[in-house]
Amino acid sequence: MKTFEEKWTAWLDDQLSGRELSEFEASLPDKAAAHAEKAEAKKLGELLKRELSAHPLKNEEFFSHQLRETIVRETVEERPERVGRTPRSTWWTIPRLVSAGTASLAVFAICAVFVMHQERAPEESQYLTQILNARVDPSVSPNGTVSIFEVKQERVTVLWTEGLQTLPADYAAK
Amino acid sequence: MQTEATLAQSDVSELDLVKRCQSGDTEAFDELVIRYRTRVFGMIYNMVHSEQDAWDLAQESFLKAWKSIGRFRGQSSFYTWIYRIVMNVTIDWLRKKKIKGGDAEFDDAIQLREIDPASKTVPKTEALPHQAMERDEIRARIEKAIDQLSPEHRAVILMKEMDDMQYHEIAEALGCSIGTVMSRLFYARKKLQSLLRDVYENV
Repeated sequence: MKTFEEKWTAWLDDQLSGRELSEFEASLPDKAAAHAEKAEAKKLGELLKRELSAHPLKNEEFFSHQLRETIVRETVEERPERVGRTPRSTWWTIPRLVSAGTASLAVFAICAVFVMHQERAPEESQYLTQILNARVDPSVSPNGTVSIFEVKQERVTVLWTEGLQTLPADYAAK
Repeated sequence: MQTEATLAQSDVSELDLVKRCQSGDTEAFDELVIRYRTRVFGMIYNMVHSEQDAWDLAQESFLKAWKSIGRFRGQSSFYTWIYRIVMNVTIDWLRKKKIKGGDAEFDDAIQLREIDPASKTVPKTEALPHQAMERDEIRARIEKAIDQLSPEHRAVILMKEMDDMQYHEIAEALGCSIGTVMSRLFYARKKLQSLLRDVYENV
């Protein structure tokens, strides 16, 4: 259903015909005034067409030249962006994640084995035994031995000598 | 050098040119520009009333057309399609200008006329000075009246009266219904009739 404005416009532009035209004209309260307004609208249209049509574009060739230059410039500017966008590889996603995960697990396993090995290593005995025969003169005491027993925690040191004929006065066990 | 007249006579169809453009042929696009640049510029000029702004907006419109030519499916004429771009660009520009409070557009037009009063708008038959002045005054009155219309009403009345476009073509170019086009035409004509009655009655 057309509004009055739509019908009026169509009537002014001679777009109504047949039954639609007769019905519209019959609905006009003042037919003479309507036709006068239609004539005015025609005059307005002619005035606009005459005065506004074909406003010249000066420097037409320069217009096209400027446009070509802009298109070329923008195309060149867009190219590096496209190049940067397309070659993005998916290699970093799954394969590298898998290999990185495997490497991490391997490092973790090596560290774990090393730490466990360290923990299992036998503890140093609290008893330290040194055999100090260096200071025993074999010609004087051929079967002589000197041993030292030391308990660090208890701060106890025992000097054990065997087979010594004499103990030199200046002897010092180290 | 090809002119618009020779191109219009050439056998190269618009659709062929569009297809070549879609495959990246800038020379084909250049031919389309040559065909439509004057009409596009003239339409924009009558919307904005400034040669420099019309030039820039026409450049922007053609550039957008080039960028989006791949989306043209040939369901309408190329001219209607590019008019849609032209209207979007120009109406957006007018709205932004209004928001910024730029009321100087009519003054710009006066300045342009002062700089170049004997432009091609003057008939080629030598007009007497008083006739030229009278013509300038009439044009100034028309431009001032058009400036009082909303961008959408300007677009509709200019496409109809200047370019003889059909309702459905205007509707396509503006992305609205035919009913809306007819309604806008109704109000735009009423407004211009009230503003320009003395002009068209006395010319």
